[in-house]
Amino acid sequence: MITVTINGKEIKLEKAVTVLEAARSAGIKIPTLCWHEQLEKYGGCRLCLVEVEKMPRLQTACTLMVADGMIIRTETDTIAEVRRGVLEFLLINHPLDCPYCDKAGECELQDLVEKYGLTKGRFREQKRKVPEALEDPVLVRNMERCIVCTRCVRMCEGVQGASAISVINRGGHSHIEPFSGGRFDCEYCGNCVSVCPVGAIMSRLHRHSYRPWQLGSETKTVCPYCGVGCTVVVQVRDDIIKRVVPKLGTVVNNGLLCSRGRFGYEFVGNKERLTTPLIRKNGLLEPSTWEEAIRLIASRLSEIKDKHGSNAIAGIASPRCTNEDNYVFQKFMRVAVGTNNIDSTARTGFAGAQGFIENIFGQGATGNIISGLANSDAVFVIGGDPTTINPILGLQIRACSRRGGNILTVGHMKGLRYYTPLELRPSVNTEIALLEGIVSALMKKKGPPGSHPVLEARLKDLNAQEADLPRICGIQGKDFSRFIDTLAEAATPSFVIGKDMIQSKGGSYGLFLVSAINYIVNGRIYLLSERANEQGLLDMGCAPDLFPGYRPITYPEFRKRYENAWKTGLPDKPGLTIFEMMEAAKAGALKCIYVMGENPVFNLPHTKDVEAGLKNLSFLVVQDIFLTETAKMADVVLPALSWAEKDGTFTNMERRIQLVKKAVHREGMEDWKILSEISSNMGVRMNYSDAEEIFGEICRVSPLHRDLNYEEIEKGDAIYPYKGEPLRGSTDEIHIEKSAGREERGKLYLRVERPLFHSGTLSRKAPALVNICPEAVARISPATAAALSLKDGDIVRASSKTGALELPVAVDEAIDDSAVMLSNNFQGKGAFSLMEYEIDPVTKAPCLDSNQIILEKVNR
Amino acid sequence: MRAGKFIQTIFFTEIIKGMALTLRTLFTPPVTRRYPKVKRPVKPGFRGLHALAKNEEGKMKCVGCGLCGAYCPSQCIYIYTSEGEDHKKIVDRYEIEVLRCVYCGFCVEACPFGAITLSEHYEYSDYSREPLYMTKDKLLANWDRYFAGEKGLRYFRDFWRPKAENFSAYEGQAMFDKVKARRKEQK
Ligand code: SF4
Ligand code: SF4
Ligand code: SF4
Ligand code: SF4
Ligand code: SF4
Ligand code: FES
Repeated sequence: MITVTINGKEIKLEKAVTVLEAARSAGIKIPTLCWHEQLEKYGGCRLCLVEVEKMPRLQTACTLMVADGMIIRTETDTIAEVRRGVLEFLLINHPLDCPYCDKAGECELQDLVEKYGLTKGRFREQKRKVPEALEDPVLVRNMERCIVCTRCVRMCEGVQGASAISVINRGGHSHIEPFSGGRFDCEYCGNCVSVCPVGAIMSRLHRHSYRPWQLGSETKTVCPYCGVGCTVVVQVRDDIIKRVVPKLGTVVNNGLLCSRGRFGYEFVGNKERLTTPLIRKNGLLEPSTWEEAIRLIASRLSEIKDKHGSNAIAGIASPRCTNEDNYVFQKFMRVAVGTNNIDSTARTGFAGAQGFIENIFGQGATGNIISGLANSDAVFVIGGDPTTINPILGLQIRACSRRGGNILTVGHMKGLRYYTPLELRPSVNTEIALLEGIVSALMKKKGPPGSHPVLEARLKDLNAQEADLPRICGIQGKDFSRFIDTLAEAATPSFVIGKDMIQSKGGSYGLFLVSAINYIVNGRIYLLSERANEQGLLDMGCAPDLFPGYRPITYPEFRKRYENAWKTGLPDKPGLTIFEMMEAAKAGALKCIYVMGENPVFNLPHTKDVEAGLKNLSFLVVQDIFLTETAKMADVVLPALSWAEKDGTFTNMERRIQLVKKAVHREGMEDWKILSEISSNMGVRMNYSDAEEIFGEICRVSPLHRDLNYEEIEKGDAIYPYKGEPLRGSTDEIHIEKSAGREERGKLYLRVERPLFHSGTLSRKAPALVNICPEAVARISPATAAALSLKDGDIVRASSKTGALELPVAVDEAIDDSAVMLSNNFQGKGAFSLMEYEIDPVTKAPCLDSNQIILEKVNR
Repeated sequence: MRAGKFIQTIFFTEIIKGMALTLRTLFTPPVTRRYPKVKRPVKPGFRGLHALAKNEEGKMKCVGCGLCGAYCPSQCIYIYTSEGEDHKKIVDRYEIEVLRCVYCGFCVEACPFGAITLSEHYEYSDYSREPLYMTKDKLLANWDRYFAGEKGLRYFRDFWRPKAENFSAYEGQAMFDKVKARRKEQK
């Protein structure tokens, strides 16, 4: 126990901390400029100087560690004098820009000068002049205002790990510049903006458009982009989102955000948003009234139901909508329509993989606490770069490496390349052989743990020889043994699994092997999730075979419970998955699809097939916020409210349920409201007054959400199964489908790039993200480029069996020689349009890794 | 006490006193003015209808810092700014709901550039609210109307000194004094 006295107040401390932290813990404020709670100590600004008895000079509180018996004073006349001096020095070069500086009102320097500073400067010489750097589309630097506290540099290097900016020049001329010069070549997380105490690095999105005190409201909600579920604060003036900022101390992201979360909000106010319902008349979509549209949908649905049966109708739910929307959606489909044909794009990977892994390890196996990654001593990454798919989760992996943990990757992960990963880069389509090798080697080294006989039985006949690996996968023996040694020694390893793993041929076998590795070394699994409510959507029963709370519909006693709860009979046959829906539509068995907040034409592979299926329907309803590719084909389009305009909950990949709150007002109806109107029109009354009431019902019917309510969620740790036991234990049967070994070197395969700056169709309506990354490019390796005599920026024609696209190439060292990377974000230029798929029989996910592609240079 | 009241009632002493006052007033000059024919002269620093000041080049002085609106106790100043062509800040809208203004003058004191002023004009009334909702154009026109020439210069020289010209803060500015005093008390 250490006892110190600060300003006459005695403070007892468990362990040695800095004087600043000790003072803060006692509620004593010491002014700071270079110190920030998220960053390494620096001690550069000298503003936190305090008097310590028996020490001859003033000391910086942010670096000085407390010692027993220290007597400290933080506010004396001498200190105030010195602080005033420090500020005066800072102001020598600082312009008097406050009236038009966007930081004014929340500027730390301004506040400090107001508190300590003189009102008059004594410095008569010229101030430093640096023109504002406006080359970047998103970040603006005004280096006259920089006080060189290096917070931004420490953030970019030490927390974000992008190392994109640095202090340049010396003395009074020092300032911050990106290594890339004027325009940033970085991850655009904007975390430097968050920590800059002055207006030296700022976002251009809201430049000069408001003052902090003019904000009408600040709403704490959840990011709409990915499954990490970062807490964001949405700042609004006159129903326009002005800025999205993180909040220090929140559980998931603690003051950090990624580019999508911070700069991707502009889609909400986009002029292209749908405003009225549209009905197809004489082949054209024409504006109509809500009454007409709802009546039409209700009557057409009833008609199809009567004529072709309930199973001729299917519904596609949305991983972008709230739990409440999705709950009402599946209830609408099951009760009003009477079918289990409900699925979503979670079927493209997340749903099947989660089901598969939970089947082995029990429910909740994939939902681990994200911040726990930083405390692992080894992180095994496979199937996609977590720093772009789930950036904030990626930061935890980087933090793990900084704390001395080992990063082990199968395949090259660009975002982790500076974190000394032990990297195994198997040659094309040989991941499975490599995983088999890892399992065998680990079994030899560690032996079977003995706690999961079913899994071990499966491993018995597995006997891959290490000696074969160099030949099959092109892996060096010594790399492999280092990899195995590190993994075997890890006490708290984590496994991060991306979609590429699931979407490869024999994906379920691959998943099984990763699970086996996880089992042998006793790790934790993280399943990357690309959409904000992918997890919640499954929890809500938007799956063809599960009721809310993962109750299988085929069990009569479970079905009985839902029948009682919803006071109606329920269909007992599992419905169609999203891919089966497309098949059935093409075959003519399916007559109608109701799509809520999803864009299957773009977000499902094999675009032409999907289009053909949807064209074949006699009735297509799309409920969305934009006129998407799918909506353009619809018979009725209904405008919905976006994430910022409604209340509800999202469930992130940790299974943490979080509140989404209405931040701006807009005329219209929430998705659940539209559905209940239609349902009531079909004779099945649904009377919900608000989202909270729906959540109440969810908590009554779903065993996972029992006893939860909004107040409980607000506290921040509503992780289900809430106050309960996991519902689904591990199984006695593991289905695996191996695929025939295949290996075709020398061919080019199309791979889906999952970029940091985009995510599906939402981000392309956010101008800032489009400015950062404006167009689709095909990324190829230098070797491929050389072989095809292509260089950066050349236009190529990329053709596969299903189509062709013309687009520029970018040469990128991080790409495998066998791969062409193309994202699925840009209109008319999506990778999925060039892809065919096969369905993995176990996970029901599409296998996308066998799509060969040919690049030809187009001469213009 | 009782007797005194009795005498007062009998002899109407109060009435007599009152009549005496009436008689005296009859022979003194009147204090009321025949407004609107006769107007009371306005003292310097009078706080009447707002105007947005222009500089020597005739451009609006306001940079849209929003301080006036932040101080305004009735919260009746609305400012909307945006980024201009040359990336500088431009003021798109500057509006005052004068019907809600209490003429405290805080906006004038808060403005570091001397861009918002209170003119000597106080005669404005109308049949609807709309004409009294002051927009940027109306406020700029007010400047030409009420602060033409020397008058505008004198306004700042004699009375309101904008802080941008001298950061040492004009001691006489009531607001500044009060805030300082309150801060001291809090300490
Ligand atoms: S950074 Fe702060 S002190 Fe500097 S001009 Fe901007 S608001 Fe004023
Ligand atoms: S935006 Fe993020 S990555 Fe870019 S310079 Fe700032 S901190 Fe670094
Ligand atoms: S840009 Fe901001 S955070 Fe970076 S050194 Fe300058 S003042 Fe500090
Ligand atoms: S990591 Fe995901 S949830 Fe967090 S800010 Fe980025 S996109 Fe949003
Ligand atoms: S005079 Fe007072 S009430 Fe009127 S606009 Fe100015 S600050 Fe507001
Ligand atoms: S905060 Fe301690 S030196 Fe800057």
